Amino acid sequence: MSLWVDKHRPRDLMKLDYHKDQASRLKNLVQQSDFPHLLVYGPSGAGKKTRIMCLLRELYGSGVERLRQETMNFTTPSNKKIEIMTVSSNYHIEVNPTDVGIHDRVVIMDLVKNVAQTHQIDSSGQREFKVVILNEVDDLTKDAQHALRRTMEKYVATCRLILIANSISRVIPAIRSRCLTIRVPAPTENEISSVLLGVCKKEGLSLPTELAIRIAKCADRNLRRALLMCEACKVQQYPFTPDQKVPEPDWQLYIKETASMILSEQSPKKLGEVRQKLYELIIHGVPPDVVFSGLLCELVKNCDMAMKCQVASHAATYEHRMRLGNKAIFHLEAFVAKFMAIYKKFMEESLGDVF
Amino acid sequence: MKPKGQTTTTNIEKTDSTKKKRNVEQNIVNINHKNWMKNFDPKSVDDLAVHNKKIQDIEEWLRITCCNNNSDILLLTGPVGCGKTTTIHMLAKKHNIKVTEWITPLDIEIPSFNGDYEFREKQSTKFLDFILKAANFTSLLDSNSKKIVLVEDFPNTFLKTPSEFTDILNQYKNRAKSPIVFICSDSHTDNKNTASSLFTPSLQEQFQITQIVFNCVSVTGLRSALKRVAELISKNHTSIYNTPTGDMIECVVNSSAGDVRSAVLNLHFACLKGGNCNLETSIVMAKETKTKAAKKKKQTSKFLSIGKDQTVSILHGVGRVLNPKVISVNNSERLSHSPSDIIEQFLGHSSSFVNFLAENYLPHYSSIDHLDKAAGALSDADIMLAEWREKICQEIGLYVAVAGLMLANKAPVSAWNPVRGPKNLKIVYPSPHQFPVLDQNYLHKGRVLATDYKTYLHIICPNN
Repeated sequence: MSLWVDKHRPRDLMKLDYHKDQASRLKNLVQQSDFPHLLVYGPSGAGKKTRIMCLLRELYGSGVERLRQETMNFTTPSNKKIEIMTVSSNYHIEVNPTDVGIHDRVVIMDLVKNVAQTHQIDSSGQREFKVVILNEVDDLTKDAQHALRRTMEKYVATCRLILIANSISRVIPAIRSRCLTIRVPAPTENEISSVLLGVCKKEGLSLPTELAIRIAKCADRNLRRALLMCEACKVQQYPFTPDQKVPEPDWQLYIKETASMILSEQSPKKLGEVRQKLYELIIHGVPPDVVFSGLLCELVKNCDMAMKCQVASHAATYEHRMRLGNKAIFHLEAFVAKFMAIYKKFMEESLGDVF
Repeated sequence: MKPKGQTTTTNIEKTDSTKKKRNVEQNIVNINHKNWMKNFDPKSVDDLAVHNKKIQDIEEWLRITCCNNNSDILLLTGPVGCGKTTTIHMLAKKHNIKVTEWITPLDIEIPSFNGDYEFREKQSTKFLDFILKAANFTSLLDSNSKKIVLVEDFPNTFLKTPSEFTDILNQYKNRAKSPIVFICSDSHTDNKNTASSLFTPSLQEQFQITQIVFNCVSVTGLRSALKRVAELISKNHTSIYNTPTGDMIECVVNSSAGDVRSAVLNLHFACLKGGNCNLETSIVMAKETKTKAAKKKKQTSKFLSIGKDQTVSILHGVGRVLNPKVISVNNSERLSHSPSDIIEQFLGHSSSFVNFLAENYLPHYSSIDHLDKAAGALSDADIMLAEWREKICQEIGLYVAVAGLMLANKAPVSAWNPVRGPKNLKIVYPSPHQFPVLDQNYLHKGRVLATDYKTYLHIICPNN
């Protein structure tokens, strides 16, 4: 049994469900049998990887779908052994350099060198280059990004890089200018619901349109999440009813709990408890920016208009600082403290008006 | 040095005017002598600044072991400058015991005919040879049969491979006929502590090593030692030193944190006569700080222009920041520990200090408004500390954090709060292997697994 997300992933550029214009342009791009380095960016669950795999299939034929997993080993200059998972075919190799944390530079330099130095044995009828797919390029250290810049230029004859990022604001300009940047916007809610309806039809299930729209709304314009939600709904209750419960991600519930804690009491002690909750979230791999926006959304529900603006502007300030700094928790905590102070003042004033 | 001394002695006979000159010159010769510090060394056991109890302990040990010619081992540990070596030497002198000390020689030997250097003997072999000879053979020049071997300077090879040291001790225990004394200074900052790395508890048990731990010299001990030095100065060395005043001694005692050696050095520096104006000012400053120190009941935390910098432990520093005390001086209010004084101690590891502060600051605040400012300051500090290329940013970041936390805390909560170490935020992403239903040929990102897949996979296939 495989998940709907994997099973119904489009394999052909022409069979994509949305952004069809872009798909045909991508097709034109590879028809000239060569393409520049690509930097594909867009929010999570928008279909970046799907498009890239389609593109590679267009380029190399179905051979790219014969995948194998390998663990590669590298040695850092400080003689530390690191290993990293890769997925590769005869034509491409894919890797998450951020898996090794601060040693990502070594991975990038050695991996690209390895790939680039092996030429295709039979270049007739084949492309002359291999493709390296690097995930989460925006989370690479600056050091690694600079290393990437050099390798990109040096091995351009034998390999092409496809970089995947969520946002290009943290990709250094030198890399941005060396790549063709392709933006994959998140699908709209209508697009998501039509995909859901299509998938359910293929599965032989009948999905009420209302439920499809509700799932699409809950999924935060993330198609992967929407499909997972839909499948989870099916497991929980089938046949579907239009008003059935759509399960939320557990971390979202946790953020909601945290927000209600903040609203219940504004004191240093409470902030200490909130901090423990924030630690929990971060340790379990929820990205701090997701925590931040989740908290803000929950908190502003309880504010009047004037206060909403104030809170949002402070949130923007601290969120920006979080990107600049090292310790996300400091800025999250500072925001919560700020909110508590504002909210408490507001409550006291409004209570004062009553008497 | 010597010919110069001789010429001066020939000169004195001639005129009276040169006599004065001679005096000065001889004293300069005296101070340039490599062992000028020896002038102030204790002359007898009574002069020691060490606590009587410790002296008795060691005396007892020496008495027992030296009489019955066995190879007992004594380990002396304690902070630097607390008189470990001097105590041994003084006691040995009193009981007429010969002390042979090992000093690690240079390793490089004369090049061979081929021109390359070779190490003929291993350091450990040399060491063993030396201590065995020193323990078993009496010098021909004196017929003193009572002797001890002293090791303070450990050959480097033992620090690298402590197992070698065990072998040496084993050999020594079996073959030697005299006791051996090891002296280790322990330091707080250095994690390569010789005493703990070489003399592990199991080793101590195996060889029945007696350990005597020295503490810092007490204030009274230090004071009486310095008084003795002052007497010596006024008796013999008035030409180069000003006679130290009681104030000055008190000041040196406060600043040297139980370290006799550095106290004597400081006193020497503070009393030197003449010299350049630089010295003069530092003496004046020393006096000034003294009066302040007296007002504050001898706070040991004063950084004097002379004397050791006191190392403030990180926990101590955290306490000072989180419990700011405001004192009023000349009708203006100021913090009793100024932020710039505090940060001086932690410039080397600024981000870890800030992490400590961030972990512990919450319970010290009484109001959320104050806390808001403090959290903002920490957030500012984090941005500065993230800029590692500019050294000044580290300093400013640390200052912003420390000053921000201290100034924001208008009404500190005075309750006992244990200081906790910063949390190690190691992010644990779910691994794809936890979910066999996932497509194994797809490279999953940890973040996506955590945010998207985890919840729903638990619903979709509850059994795994």
